[in-house]
Amino acid sequence: MTDNLEQLINDAVEKALAGDMDAINNIEDRVTRSKAKAALVKAKREAAKEQTEKSSDENSIDSSDVKQDLTINENIAELLIQQFPDDIIKELSSKEHIQIQSKNWLIISKYLRDDPACLFDSLQCITGVDLGEESDLEVRYNLHSMTHRHAVEIRISCLRNKAKVPSVESIWRIGDWFERETYDMYGIEFEGHRDLKRILLPEDWEGWPLRKDYEVQETYHGIVVPKVKEGWE
Amino acid sequence: MGVFENKFQDNVVVASLDKLLGWARSTSPWFFQFGLACCAIEMMATAASRHDLMRIGMIPRSSPRQADVMIVAGTVTLKMALRVKKLYEQMANPKYVISMGSCATSGGPYWQHGYHVLKGVDLVVPVDVYVPGCPPRPEALIEGLLKLQEKIQSERPLTRKTA
Repeated sequence: MTDNLEQLINDAVEKALAGDMDAINNIEDRVTRSKAKAALVKAKREAAKEQTEKSSDENSIDSSDVKQDLTINENIAELLIQQFPDDIIKELSSKEHIQIQSKNWLIISKYLRDDPACLFDSLQCITGVDLGEESDLEVRYNLHSMTHRHAVEIRISCLRNKAKVPSVESIWRIGDWFERETYDMYGIEFEGHRDLKRILLPEDWEGWPLRKDYEVQETYHGIVVPKVKEGWE
Repeated sequence: MGVFENKFQDNVVVASLDKLLGWARSTSPWFFQFGLACCAIEMMATAASRHDLMRIGMIPRSSPRQADVMIVAGTVTLKMALRVKKLYEQMANPKYVISMGSCATSGGPYWQHGYHVLKGVDLVVPVDVYVPGCPPRPEALIEGLLKLQEKIQSERPLTRKTA
């Protein structure tokens, strides 16, 4: 009896897969009919799975023909090296960032914004980095393109005692405040910025707080800033 | 009230002027409406309908000239410290200060490494009541306000201070 039923279901499913749904719909017993429908769904799912596996195999064969997967940073770096061979420091660049010289940064940034292959229309962030008292300061720019949906990181290093980087405030308007904040915290001067002054700290503040060698001032307008914390820890 | 007893009609209440002044001042301490950080959110919640500061006679005033109490709600940066001091100086006497939260009281989490934070608002203005907490709940702030009312009530503005 059960063998017969299974046989019936299998036959009906095979016919249904071939396009004849009546084979299942004509089964009179309700339980058997629903079992047959469940079996059909399962069979269809497995078929779809096989299909995708097959197609993904084909895809992987296709992609192995392309010589190498470059990250977007590397791609853009290649573009920049063709345009500005002297300004890109290839040895210091990586998959995650592009290291460049500060000298022609204004021209390069204009290229990055306007070139059809780049179209970086938004400057997302400017970060200052102090890599330690012995080394230089660094400015990092995160750029994003709405059109191409890609993003790169540009890094420019500058000397600690002569920290000067061209301003990109005229290229991306948001750079105005980003650069003022970086100047506020690291004392990096952005040449060509139209109003470079402190943005968060009061204008008469001394020193650059996020540099590693920053010393907290002892008094501010006569208010003592205590350094020795007694009775704690 | 000694000699004044039964000398007046029934609808006349006799009290010492000192106590009357203390009562009047303590039951309507209008506070200065300004917040510095997250404590200000709790201060707003305290003033809003659930906790309703109007019950104890307090309403926020936007001008230091009209305020009696300054609630320093939040982190006082060195940049702000000068402004806080200026605002305090603009308030009319009698004036009181509540230091709300651990930042205003001692610098809070910025005690050790906050190069830009004033380590306690009592370094620039005299504080009457400290409310601990980070931030203090509205109940805690109300407790502080009631303590301040007690303090105001116990003052004797007309009595000559003896050395």
